[in-house]
Amino acid sequence: MRTFEERYRTALDDPDVRAGLTAFQRGWRESRDAAIAELEAAEGRSFDELRQELAAIKDDVIANGDRYLDQFTANAEAAGAEVTRVATPGEANEQITRICHDAGATLMVKGKSMVSEEIGLNHHLEAAGITPVETDLGEWILQLAGETPSHLVMPAIHKRKERIAELFERVLDREFPPDDIDRMVKAARTELRERFLASGVGLSGTNALVAEGGSVMLVCNEGNNRMSVALPPVHIVTAGIEKMVPTYADAMKQVRLLARSATAQPITVYTNFVTGPRPGQRQHILLLDNGRTAMAEDPDVAAALRCIRCGACANVCPPYGVVGGHAFGHVYTGAIGLVNTAYHHGIEAAAGPQSLCVSCGACATVCPTDIPLPMQILEVRSKVVDAGAPTPAGRATQLAIAAFGQRWLFDLGIRAAGVVTTPLRSDGVTRVPRWLAERPGVREHVGWRTPPALPVRPARDHLKKGKLDEPSRLAAQPLAGRTVQLFLQCLSDRVAPDIPIAAAKLLRAAGADVRLPRAQHCCGLPAFDAGEQDAARTMVRQTIATLEGVDDVVTPASSCLAMLEHEAPHLLRDDLDDLERAQQLAGRTYDLISYLTTGPGRLPAGALDNGDRTPVTVHRFCQSSTTLQRRDSVERFLRDVAGVEVVPLPEAEVCCGFGGSTSIRSPELSAGVLDRKLGCVDGTDVAILITDNPGCVLHLRGGIHASGRQVEVLHLAEYLARRLPGADATPGGASA
Amino acid sequence: MGRERFRTGVEAASSRYVELADWGALIAHLAADPELGSDRHGAGDRRPRVALAPSLAHAQPDLVAGFTDAGFEVAVPDGDDPAAEVADVPLAVVRAELAVAETGSVLVSEHALGDRVVTMLCRRLVQVVDADTIVDRLEGAADWLREHGGQPGFASLMTGPSRTADIERSLTIGVQGPDEVDVVVLTTPSGGADEA
Repeated sequence: MRTFEERYRTALDDPDVRAGLTAFQRGWRESRDAAIAELEAAEGRSFDELRQELAAIKDDVIANGDRYLDQFTANAEAAGAEVTRVATPGEANEQITRICHDAGATLMVKGKSMVSEEIGLNHHLEAAGITPVETDLGEWILQLAGETPSHLVMPAIHKRKERIAELFERVLDREFPPDDIDRMVKAARTELRERFLASGVGLSGTNALVAEGGSVMLVCNEGNNRMSVALPPVHIVTAGIEKMVPTYADAMKQVRLLARSATAQPITVYTNFVTGPRPGQRQHILLLDNGRTAMAEDPDVAAALRCIRCGACANVCPPYGVVGGHAFGHVYTGAIGLVNTAYHHGIEAAAGPQSLCVSCGACATVCPTDIPLPMQILEVRSKVVDAGAPTPAGRATQLAIAAFGQRWLFDLGIRAAGVVTTPLRSDGVTRVPRWLAERPGVREHVGWRTPPALPVRPARDHLKKGKLDEPSRLAAQPLAGRTVQLFLQCLSDRVAPDIPIAAAKLLRAAGADVRLPRAQHCCGLPAFDAGEQDAARTMVRQTIATLEGVDDVVTPASSCLAMLEHEAPHLLRDDLDDLERAQQLAGRTYDLISYLTTGPGRLPAGALDNGDRTPVTVHRFCQSSTTLQRRDSVERFLRDVAGVEVVPLPEAEVCCGFGGSTSIRSPELSAGVLDRKLGCVDGTDVAILITDNPGCVLHLRGGIHASGRQVEVLHLAEYLARRLPGADATPGGASA
Repeated sequence: MGRERFRTGVEAASSRYVELADWGALIAHLAADPELGSDRHGAGDRRPRVALAPSLAHAQPDLVAGFTDAGFEVAVPDGDDPAAEVADVPLAVVRAELAVAETGSVLVSEHALGDRVVTMLCRRLVQVVDADTIVDRLEGAADWLREHGGQPGFASLMTGPSRTADIERSLTIGVQGPDEVDVVVLTTPSGGADEA
């Protein structure tokens, strides 16, 4: 397989990939959401309840694998199958080749089998003089094109119909108009029919192995799987050992979520239960380990074995929408591929694609077996770092994080940068001189996103005691008599000081006594994101120590809240004292929007209505929806409390592409995700874009500036502070 | 109520839904179908070949006579090369063990190769199910499977004609399996399974 870097570049250079996948993701999202809503109504239960039920079934199998494997084996053998457990891809390939040779077969028809991709079966067969023919339409197209699947369910989704028509014309030597998809499908039927009838061996994958009856469950829409199973005199089944379910009733629970999550169908056209061979046939079932036992024994990733290969995690993944499955993963694509690749193909194979995950958390929200994919990806990333598979970019990140961990060093550096870049500062951005901006190594970082202005003085200087003006007062004073510790967020403090300054104004206007713990630095999120867990733990402990007390802690950075609420307890799970302190802190920490809507700072309707009716639109920080479980609270707050018209932003909850270090390590990818977001903003025809997280603000602001769009990007705090009595509504404060 | 929900599921899966009294009514219904009639095939009163699953034809031998009397040429692929006997047969009839209202599926059990090729190689498939075998939920099908678990078999929940969306997610009906599916619910089946 080509290197990650090659695959990444190829995907970026192919304009079909992005255009096709964005359309695919949008179409899937709409139809999947409708299918799930219908299911919830019919079952009278939520998606979460249904998927947790399925997760529990799979967890039982993961914990008691051998017992169910033995039960399955006994039942399948009673029905006439030969069941073999194989440990490695090499063993599996050898077994399959031997079976083909024993049967005298030179042609094999294949139903869809991810395991066969995992073990590289086709190459192996060809070397042994056996011709494998893929019979799933998408897989067949890719076989003709000499490519591999880019998606678990829709293997050829990265190819546009024009390219497929060209391919068919070349291979079948007749005309195929690109819009006549029916003609292409019928050609596949004709071409493949004779192969089905002539082949000596049929191979299929597995959707589930039913322990109680020894049945192999196989789902398909085209009917090709059924024919691969039924027609040839030998049937080989390939299955990962995690495919077990205890009972047929359990299998039905999987069916109920599988097709809806994969293709938004209530059920696939065919759900086949194959128990033993038909009369006159032999059946071999190969159960493959290849790292699965190691996964089951590793609590960080065991739950990834729940995966039922629906592909939903790829369908909501913004980076997947830019570069597709060939870059994003190995054989298994999408978020699940970032986890299981390390176990099936080695940690090196998993290393490169790690930089593509923006940690937006969307994958976990649609996973039908509730796999905590974002946390698992961070765990695997940490293993990649620990295994020392360093890329140059990785080493640079390590150094940067080490320096960043030293607050004084970081502070000094950023102040110095502020002084140096003073002549370049305007309108909140740093205008990089052309001679520098066009240099390779700089161009890919600043061409699409103008860097933010670097202020000489951080927010903490402006918020020192004695530096603060007498606050403007709101009529409502929900925070009167309350002390609030302001957690600035390291990024805002030094790069976007207007944000924490505005947050302080707002809290004081609502009556709070705002305090600034001096030693505060960073919650540890960037380090955790980069797989540097030790550094992250040090920072999160330091943050906990700094913010200790009984007062409310408020931060304008929703990403820090997500870190303190979710990642910090996870990082400190092995130290009960630390864990308790982390949980106590999380219990009294709010981000601005939660503090003002559901927390002690709840403001009454109209409290910030200054009569300004200029419409705005809202980008939701991705983790607000995925990790913090919020939906439209910013929009509702703006409507109710500020009295402003909010124009809905399509795909409001989809990540903007900042993704912490992603935008630095994979700038082209980040630019692609941002482009999709800005396209949605264009559709609203609104001149003010508001969001709840500083990272998004800087990213969106830079992208909008670089593209020449006339949209002002504001953090919620900045926007609301402008609406305070007597506020100056012109932009620019500390950063100007 | 189960039957209404079943119908909704069947039609959502792009199959035709028909309720008929019994097998005799089914043969008459197909014989009267202009799509299958003499107009289309232009050979007097001749109707196309119809494949009957061997297990069905053996359980209900009168069906072969019934279809033949109605002008159909009947194929029952139980020879050495069943696939060759029914390759691209325009019409096939199978009997389902039960139906699932929740998804509009029928459960067809087809162990022998002859039974399997009938549902796989035909262009139009008629799936016949008795009204009193409709279960509400997929778990009802699981019960049937559990009763038959461990015994060699091939049981398929079938839901609509074969389809693909592998090219640009564009839905196309009719790939390796049938292009058309009729789901026929028999409301007062006489003979039928009882004769088996």
